Amino acid sequence: MALILIVEDAALIRKMLQKILKAEGHTILEAPNGLQGLQMIRTHNPECIVLDLLMPEMGGRQVLLALREEGLQIPTIVVTADVQQTTRAECLELGALTVLNKIPKPDELRHWVKKAIGVVTQEEIYEPNS
Amino acid sequence: MNLTVDQVDVLQELVNIGVGRAAGVLNEMIGSPICLRIPYIKVLSPQELQPDLEIRFNGDLLSTVGLNFSGSFAGTAELIFPTESASTLVEVLTGETAGTPDLDSVKIGTLLEVGNIVLNGIMGSLSNVLVQHLEYSLPTYLEGRIDKLFNSKHLDAKASVFLAHTRFIIEQLQIAGDIIVIFKVGSFDAMLKAIDLAFEGDNERDPGSPERVWHS
Repeated sequence: MALILIVEDAALIRKMLQKILKAEGHTILEAPNGLQGLQMIRTHNPECIVLDLLMPEMGGRQVLLALREEGLQIPTIVVTADVQQTTRAECLELGALTVLNKIPKPDELRHWVKKAIGVVTQEEIYEPNS
Repeated sequence: MNLTVDQVDVLQELVNIGVGRAAGVLNEMIGSPICLRIPYIKVLSPQELQPDLEIRFNGDLLSTVGLNFSGSFAGTAELIFPTESASTLVEVLTGETAGTPDLDSVKIGTLLEVGNIVLNGIMGSLSNVLVQHLEYSLPTYLEGRIDKLFNSKHLDAKASVFLAHTRFIIEQLQIAGDIIVIFKVGSFDAMLKAIDLAFEGDNERDPGSPERVWHS
């Protein structure tokens, strides 16, 4: 199983995401903002990042930019309350693997994490209405 | 500034769509049906805003989460609960048993995130329909009576503000809340232009219903 970093300022959401991913056997690291998240990325080299956008200190967009500038190719799943199509497009352009709206359904999150760590199979392709 | 009947109709429907999405999200979070009232739409001066809100909120002690937005149009969206309702909602979400009705920092953090999700649902829907990108500030929490929460002093006295207000009720949990969106004008003109662009040639609109219920 994988080492996953959750970068999210809201404790409630961190707890929800952590619960879903721990049940899958992943090891979870947590950071309450982008600045601490970036430091943990550099020191722990996680296999996947679950990233909020709007956070104090440093937001998710800045983290995506820093990853790109430093050439760190870590699959990043953006989880945000922002439902704007323009925001989604911007995050994908900045290198995010996908953008999920809060609060993601457990199946949806599990699917994208599997995809991020390269263990998704054809049979496990997520269909939102299934 | 006076709005035409058509403009009021479109604005009401846009707010309806946004609030509907927000109610859907809130419904998924708490697993209880949410009953929505039809939104109230009004254009008024900053001097009129505070008395109008004071009448609506009747001197209650309120907990509010505010989300400022900017871009083609700017303003603030607020999720408002009587403090006791806010406390109940947080308890339902966190699974923690009732203590005092006061909100400590953990409860405030939870409420901020609820507000962030709900208000983004509304503003994001508006943004998507009108194809206008918005930037958001971090949400803020305030507690007090309406005169303390909404100070019109920071608004240009000569400008108009657009107030959209809707009430939602979660009967199973005996929670009532309000959502208000205040657009600063200047930016409101830009929004009306965006509406005209987005709805050009569209004369068929859903008349809507006075009350809608979201079930999980």
